[in-house]
Amino acid sequence: MTEFARQVETLRPQLLRYARSQLRNDAWAEDAVSETLLAALEKPQSFSGQSQLKTWLVGILKHKVIDQLRRHSRECTIFSEDDETDIDELLFAADGHWREAPQEWGNPEQSLGQRQFFEVLELCVEKLPATQGRVFMMREWLELGTDEICKELSITSTNLWVMLHRARLRLRECLQQGWFAGRPMT
Amino acid sequence: MVFSRSCREVTRLVLESEDRELPLADRMALQIHWRICDGCTKFRDQARLMRQAMKRWRSYRDDGEDGDSGTPSS
Repeated sequence: MTEFARQVETLRPQLLRYARSQLRNDAWAEDAVSETLLAALEKPQSFSGQSQLKTWLVGILKHKVIDQLRRHSRECTIFSEDDETDIDELLFAADGHWREAPQEWGNPEQSLGQRQFFEVLELCVEKLPATQGRVFMMREWLELGTDEICKELSITSTNLWVMLHRARLRLRECLQQGWFAGRPMT
Repeated sequence: MVFSRSCREVTRLVLESEDRELPLADRMALQIHWRICDGCTKFRDQARLMRQAMKRWRSYRDDGEDGDSGTPSS
């Protein structure tokens, strides 16, 4: 095995973790990563060396992950019971007021400067219901526009808005409980 | 009132503004609501913090040094 191949191979676990968090399916994630590594090994000359190897591979992986999403679009958009939960009903009273008013989260840098915060964030993203999680990650990690997401998954924009809305409210709830609750904010 | 919105509606608008530019009337409604509603002002700040967090998380993932965490090493 060449040195290049060895370096590529050492990044496999990390790439697999990223692919899993986006696809929420182990088999598809394996395929996306295998295709990524193959593409890298077949065309090592397209790695200019100007960016890090990891950055280059993640760039390829994002394309392969989108291929998988497209290929499995129907299975990707099945709503589980969790996906269907109307978070708004839990957060708001019938008159549209907060049941429990949002709390102060304090100075962002206090949280964003800490490694543990991002560990909680990752866990919270993982805990999103599968379909919401996929859509949220398409937006936040793959950085696709809302029109593109609708197109790739063949869903209506109404569906997409509902899913993004619920995903973000869940994420907020999870961060509140997993990180901000009990922390004195200045 | 023309610009009157419930907290529930304001929350939806705040989250939608993460993904699209809101019409002028909605932006006006948000400004007016935030002046009188402490809860929604806090929610707005929470949404901002989450946006900053996702941005930083993405750059650690995509460009960060090797290592398996994808998080800052402080």
